[in-house]
Amino acid sequence: MEKQSVPVHLDQVTKIFRDPKTKSDVHAVRDARLEISGGELVTLLGPSGCGKTTMLRMIGGFELPTRGTIHIGGEDVTYLPPNTRATATVFQSYGLFPHLDVFENVAYGLKVRKVSKEEIGFRVMEALGLVGLSDLARRSPGRLSGGQQQRVALARSLVVRPQVLLLDEPLSNLDALLREQMRVEIRRIQKSLGITAIYVTHDRVEAMSLSDRVVVMKAGVIRQVGTPSAIYERPDSKFVAGFVGKVAFFPVEVQSTDGAITCVLAGATVRAGSMAPDVTVGSKALLMARPESLRLGNPGEGACDGTVATNVYLGSSVESFVTTEYGEILVQIDDPSESRVKPEGAKVSIAFDEARVRILPEAEE
Amino acid sequence: MPVFTKKKLFAFIAACAVFLIIDLWMFSALRTSYEKSVLGDKKELVVALARSAPVEAGTVEAWLAEAKKAHPGLRLLHVQGIPGAEETKESSLDPELKAVWDQRQGEPAFKSGVEAASYLEVFLLPDTVRLGTSRSLVMFAPVPNKEGDTAVGILLAAVDESILSSFVNLTYALSAIAFLLFALGFGIATFSRDPITGYAILVLFAIVLTFVAYPLFEALRLTFVHEGRFSFAVWRDILTNKQYLGALVGSVKLGALTATLSTIMGFLFAFFVARTSLKGKKLVTALATLPVISPPFSLTLSIILLFGNNGLITKRLLGLEHFSIYGLGGLGLVQTISMFPIAFLTLAGVLEAIDSTLEDASLDLNASRWQTFTRVTLPLAAPGLLSSWLLVFTNSLADFANPLLLSGSFRVLSVESYIEVTGMNRLGNGAALSILLLLPTLTAFFVQRAWVAKKSFVVVTGKPSMRLSDLANRPTRLFLLAFVVLSSAFIVALYGTIVAGCFVKNWGIDYTFTTANIVEALQRGKAALVSTMTLAGIATPIAGFVAMIGAVLVVRKRFPGKRILEALMMTPFAVPGTLVGISYILAFNKPPLLLVGTGAILVICYVIRELPVGLEGGVATLRQIDPSIEEAASDLGADQATVFRTIILPLIRPAFISSMSYTFVRSMTAVSAIIFLISARWYHITIQIYNFSENIRFGLASVLATALIIIVLAVFGLMRVVVRKSEHLEKTVTIQ
Repeated sequence: MEKQSVPVHLDQVTKIFRDPKTKSDVHAVRDARLEISGGELVTLLGPSGCGKTTMLRMIGGFELPTRGTIHIGGEDVTYLPPNTRATATVFQSYGLFPHLDVFENVAYGLKVRKVSKEEIGFRVMEALGLVGLSDLARRSPGRLSGGQQQRVALARSLVVRPQVLLLDEPLSNLDALLREQMRVEIRRIQKSLGITAIYVTHDRVEAMSLSDRVVVMKAGVIRQVGTPSAIYERPDSKFVAGFVGKVAFFPVEVQSTDGAITCVLAGATVRAGSMAPDVTVGSKALLMARPESLRLGNPGEGACDGTVATNVYLGSSVESFVTTEYGEILVQIDDPSESRVKPEGAKVSIAFDEARVRILPEAEE
Repeated sequence: MPVFTKKKLFAFIAACAVFLIIDLWMFSALRTSYEKSVLGDKKELVVALARSAPVEAGTVEAWLAEAKKAHPGLRLLHVQGIPGAEETKESSLDPELKAVWDQRQGEPAFKSGVEAASYLEVFLLPDTVRLGTSRSLVMFAPVPNKEGDTAVGILLAAVDESILSSFVNLTYALSAIAFLLFALGFGIATFSRDPITGYAILVLFAIVLTFVAYPLFEALRLTFVHEGRFSFAVWRDILTNKQYLGALVGSVKLGALTATLSTIMGFLFAFFVARTSLKGKKLVTALATLPVISPPFSLTLSIILLFGNNGLITKRLLGLEHFSIYGLGGLGLVQTISMFPIAFLTLAGVLEAIDSTLEDASLDLNASRWQTFTRVTLPLAAPGLLSSWLLVFTNSLADFANPLLLSGSFRVLSVESYIEVTGMNRLGNGAALSILLLLPTLTAFFVQRAWVAKKSFVVVTGKPSMRLSDLANRPTRLFLLAFVVLSSAFIVALYGTIVAGCFVKNWGIDYTFTTANIVEALQRGKAALVSTMTLAGIATPIAGFVAMIGAVLVVRKRFPGKRILEALMMTPFAVPGTLVGISYILAFNKPPLLLVGTGAILVICYVIRELPVGLEGGVATLRQIDPSIEEAASDLGADQATVFRTIILPLIRPAFISSMSYTFVRSMTAVSAIIFLISARWYHITIQIYNFSENIRFGLASVLATALIIIVLAVFGLMRVVVRKSEHLEKTVTIQ
């Protein structure tokens, strides 16, 4: 299949639903602006009800935006019906046609496009080969496993050579092992075809491991867009920091931002590696630290003191839960040995890897 | 979901304007040509009349009276002599026209009329003239002498202008409708992103507005019109006349009796099937559902054969002379047997849904079986009992076929309204009576909605209990068994009687075996049978498609007016057949939809009446189908029509097929609405059965009833086979 990479642009897209019970307007998506380059895989990540699926459905044409425009490959598709858009969707529940077998399912999109019979046969088998289901072409979808159904749905979407592939939580109905396998599979196929893909998920591991860029959403608003590492290491808000990984927060006051970034934590001056854009000098802020940037030491040595509550042994690492005045803080101890892990009940202090901690604005709107 | 842009809006307005101009031009041309031809006809008539006018004085009055009799629409004034030139003498039977002549003969327009007539030409006044309450067209025609070369008088003829205006109004209405349809259709094509759905909505709206809302409105309107004016006279008559009130009371009495008996019988049958471990449940279920699909008149017929004046049991076996099956008792019996299946099906569903572990728990807590039954089972089934009572009640009220044959001197509303319309030709009263029938039905419907729905305790656990604790003790079980067996035997005997009736020479008098009935009945009933099957066959696919498209719109689409459309599509469910029939003859016996007497009106009636059931079935099936299946299809490039054809229809095939077979059977066995709409050309088999019965040709009626039963059973059997084939679908549809 030839490569085709088209960009997708969302401009000021807003979707307002009317709640029939309360008769009030609900903003499912609010002023979303997003530029996706050709061939990129972007995930929409957020808790349920954050508007990520609505946004995907607007790109697919199943919902109309209340305001704003959507462009695919430079063409305004905002009001086009789904059947005239160059998108193909893999649904959460797959939406396989139960009265057609696997081959007919995959062939459906080609048939309605009036593709010749020989070409249908060729392209369907090519697509089934791509997802590794060539042997099951004559099976009814009701007699396939969940993972196989998922592959049929994927093949059915890919066979029509869409410009944009939309995936709506495609792996949520699979078990953990299969999910990991399919994740790799989807990424491989997407890269080999060079197709633009938009992927909706609430699973942060899935988002991190799969995407070129992650769009974190909350309550209909895009909170941050960035590469997985940027989102994880340099979040701009408490919500994003907390949603994409385990994190500890310490209340601080920002001291200086030119040159070295410093802040005051419980009277002591602490240096931080970076800070979010809307942090100002002298304001109250949060110091954010990931478990792997924290170290345990003897009491008094670090930034704050506490008591080890529980140790959880994970093989390659140990997670130490330390009770402090800022609440329970998780410290990840890599390469654990007897000497590094403090016993439960021991008095300890927590120190930061200063280059890796970040200052975030305190206010959470 | 419409999409408006300036460009589209401009194109739309321009197209509408162009269409409007063409539309108006076409219809005004049509109007002018019509006016010309109508006026031409009238002119010829008046000229011919004037030629026949007597020249001698004294005979004019008699001639005028004769002309008035022959042409009641014409108002004439005869002028002897030409005014202005000689002495004149006017004579007319119409004082209003005379007054106008006296008053206005000096006016220039009248003078030109006189002048034209004096030159032997006919003249039409350019303006209409007010005569009494309405306006008239006035013509001047010359009365020639015997030789025909000189005018010796003038004949003034006035025609009510309504001969033109009614047609003019019709052309205006038609051009407005044409424009509206164009604007809606073009608007949908321009603005909607899903025009196919838009057209489907438009067509369905047009169907239900024309064939549900409009006729009912016409029927309601007629009850408020008396001698051309708004009045409560009809309702005053209905609500004070003892005869009508008696019919209302009779209907309610019969309904209550039938509902009570049917619910008791249905409950016993349902308890037997759902709550005991007795054998023969399948057979009992099949027998108990048989009356539901049996054609009308068949049970009545066999009751008459067995218990009528010359009945096998009453006369032959018991020798009773003064026993009469006609009336409340006989009706209650027939209706109970025909309608207890409704109660049975409702209650069997309810009882089966009650988790029997609740009963086990009660028994486990040391309650006796009787206590368990009265304190657990019965309260849980109570909403079901009420809803089955209400269902049977409304069915009994709407029933027309059984009372038609069996009511005797007992009066019920449905038959009363039929007699008012066909016997007395009082359409207003008939409409009012059948509207009256709607009231208890609607009340029952709302009670059902408001109370039963809220009080429903039935919990569907989805886990079928394997073993049932037998709630009934030995004597109870014996009683149940005896009741079920005896009732079933009675039902079988009733059907057997109909079959037996086919082969008996003259029931009640001469019981010798014969096959003559079959030959005669099929010969005389053939035309009706063929026309019924043809029309039902035409109606069946239409009803199926309309119902399924309606279901898709109701379940899957969002559009303004959806609630109204849904309500209108469901309305025929609550409307008794007699009201449908009466409202159809009111609405479709005049232009622009002159349908009475055609086969089309029967087809439309079948489709509309069975729409709600098909719709419900389609909606229920569609709700179980994951919407992302259809979204996937449209995402892959299929438009809405393709999605419907290739995805939705195959998936809701069971509902589609059962809706179609249901429509076919119900159309074949329809009576109440159809009896108003049949014509000599398009007769109906059930009415033929009724006519044979009325003429005491029970043998012939039995043959046709048996034939109908065989057709019905065959269709249902066929449907079972076809639906079973697609059963695998139902399982896979809901995987996700």
